[in-house]
Amino acid sequence: MGLINYNIEKYSPKQLVIIPLAILAVSLILLTINIATTGMPVTPGIDFSGGTAVTIITTETREQITLYFADYPLSEVSDMNNGKFLKFGLMDDAKYKSLTSVINQKYPDARIDQIGETFGKTLQSQAVLALIFSFIGMSIVIFLSFRTFVPAVAVVLSAFADMVMTAATMNIVGIPLSLGTLAALLMLIGYSVDSDILLTNRVLKRQGKLNEKLTGAFNTGIIMTSTTLAAAAALLFVAWFGAVQILIEISAVLLIGLLFDVMNTWLTNVGILKWYVLKGGGK
Amino acid sequence: MNSKELKVLFTDWRVATLLILIVISVIAIFPHIDQQGHLATNLQYGLDLQQGSWLQLEFRAEVVGFTTDQPVEAFVTNLSKKLDTEVIVVESTNPNHLEIRKYFSQADLEPIFTSEQGKITSYQQGVSKSTADLVKRILETKINTLGTKDAKVNTLTGLNNVARFIRVELAGVDMNQAQEIVGKQGKFEIRVQTTGNQTEHVLSGDTITSVQTPSQSPPGSDKWGVGFTLSESGAAAFRAAAIKYGATTDPANHNLIMLLDNKSVYSAPLSDDLAGKLQSDTIRQLFASTGTGKYGTQQATNLEIHLRAGALPVDITIAGSGGVTAPLGERYKMTALLAGIFALLMVGLVIYYRYREPVIVLPMVMINASEIIILLGFISLIRFQMDLPTIAGLIAVLGTGIDQLVIITDEILHEGKVPSPNLYLKRLSRALGIIVVAAATVVIAMAPLALMDLSTLKGFAIITILGVLVGVLVTRPAYGKIIMQILSK
Repeated sequence: MGLINYNIEKYSPKQLVIIPLAILAVSLILLTINIATTGMPVTPGIDFSGGTAVTIITTETREQITLYFADYPLSEVSDMNNGKFLKFGLMDDAKYKSLTSVINQKYPDARIDQIGETFGKTLQSQAVLALIFSFIGMSIVIFLSFRTFVPAVAVVLSAFADMVMTAATMNIVGIPLSLGTLAALLMLIGYSVDSDILLTNRVLKRQGKLNEKLTGAFNTGIIMTSTTLAAAAALLFVAWFGAVQILIEISAVLLIGLLFDVMNTWLTNVGILKWYVLKGGGK
Repeated sequence: MNSKELKVLFTDWRVATLLILIVISVIAIFPHIDQQGHLATNLQYGLDLQQGSWLQLEFRAEVVGFTTDQPVEAFVTNLSKKLDTEVIVVESTNPNHLEIRKYFSQADLEPIFTSEQGKITSYQQGVSKSTADLVKRILETKINTLGTKDAKVNTLTGLNNVARFIRVELAGVDMNQAQEIVGKQGKFEIRVQTTGNQTEHVLSGDTITSVQTPSQSPPGSDKWGVGFTLSESGAAAFRAAAIKYGATTDPANHNLIMLLDNKSVYSAPLSDDLAGKLQSDTIRQLFASTGTGKYGTQQATNLEIHLRAGALPVDITIAGSGGVTAPLGERYKMTALLAGIFALLMVGLVIYYRYREPVIVLPMVMINASEIIILLGFISLIRFQMDLPTIAGLIAVLGTGIDQLVIITDEILHEGKVPSPNLYLKRLSRALGIIVVAAATVVIAMAPLALMDLSTLKGFAIITILGVLVGVLVTRPAYGKIIMQILSK
């Protein structure tokens, strides 16, 4: 790999971790603000807050659509390839029935999904629990397999940073927390650690100079992340083209998360690991 | 590679397992041209990928924790009377909880509990797990008898064993039809006439254990009716109520009334014969006669449906719904297929960019593709309905599957030299060590989703975990063997 020149020798552990730590701090602040305003770290989508999502295939403009649905609590219109994705706020049964008939009249092929408020709320708490359990489970596996404190903490911290930064970016870009993006976040917990595990294994269990081992690990690790990135990018591209909202959201979250993973593996994790080895650990 | 080497490779158990699994999977997927000349497979599609609808139903009931200094049995009977609904002690896991099969807010219940010298310690809308399972079974029977082919009913049980929601998915049915089939579920009850127009609750539909098809009684006569069987407790309740309210001694003035959604669907006195028998013993086999001739047959058929599947022990409301139309489903399917192919292609390109050696890249991509085939085969076998999140999961398996092949390749090729068999084995096991830990984290990370009832995500999590297991147990070891054969050239 000649494209990326990963020159680790030049930087001290402190220099390596300073940028990711700054981003982590900013992300945590952003998430805290979001919790204060919405009660959830990531703004919940319809799956978790209730409401109605409608996918229509149309060439109409945003204004035309807004006008057509003027009587209904239309909260968002987003563009998709040859279609629109509409979100409506909560409404009572009668209103919802009249909305479905209005939609079916003009767009017979529309996809309509409606989630009641109480159901969304129930899922919300389950979603948070799933994230927490998943993260704790991952941490336990990492600690059990490494059995050394600092390297394990480095991996868990990197995975934590991946999640937090991805969640903060979701808020900035406007990707809501849906069942699909929750699945993507959980995938990230599982998948983001594999390059970290490779790195730690190479550095602690192989013979040789530290810098050579780091470079070797980087050469393997960056290809690993690139393949997953390629798969996620392919999914995003095709999903955008086919206007499949849930796949767009899942692949976008995976892409964002994997990009942060590159940074957190090769700056955060390497930084801590380098400090640990230079200090005399791992021998 | 000559034929002898190939033979060695194919008879290696790791490679053989992989090949056998691929063959089984292809048979399970069963790609063929159907009668319309389209390419068809055994794969089942969920609602995202074909026309269909889903409904989220909410139970109008609650599970209440309680304490009382009264005998529990009397307490429950009094409560049931005051609330005019069934009250059941949730046994087994938490003996201090009652299921109240009608919706009351906590504030509504509190004064009633107090007047019966009890106290509410916890309140949760929903039903016990066993009641939820019962509703699930009833709904499934109901949907099946209506001839809808692909129906899925899932209860969503919280961590505290209280189910508040149940999800019904109906393939090939639009939303209005689905609501008709499921939303208007009836609640079945048998009541007994006491004095005048007054009636008392005898039993609800869940104590009916089986329902026969309409028949003539006595056989060959033109007198139609439906036979049904009560559970042990149902029969006891039936006998107790019949005796208590005088239906056995004076059947003519104490009709038994069957209600569906609080509407009377059947009302008749006990036959003299039955009344006499009930006086001395509980009877589980009952027969409801509906009349003679065509009218009688028609009534019997209706009653059968009421008895068989109309019997939901609790009321439900629709808490969410949705559906995909046929053209949109078709489009999603195409998109998903394209995404899969395109992802495999992109992954192949990245790998080629790195290794530049077709003899390495080709096996990698083929192993990767074989993993997806095995997964799809498994999905076909268990008749799992694929939906969009599952497909995203499959594509992620693709991306990370190849990661692990990269780990193996790089470990083995370390320092650019092809290792001796001994060194090779050491490196392979080191690579597998890394992979097993990585796989374990994915399995653990997905476990909460597989165990919790988070709506549609359960299937996705199970497929992802399976993908990881197939990789670690089958395809990775096989790849290790294959790549060694290739590299030792």
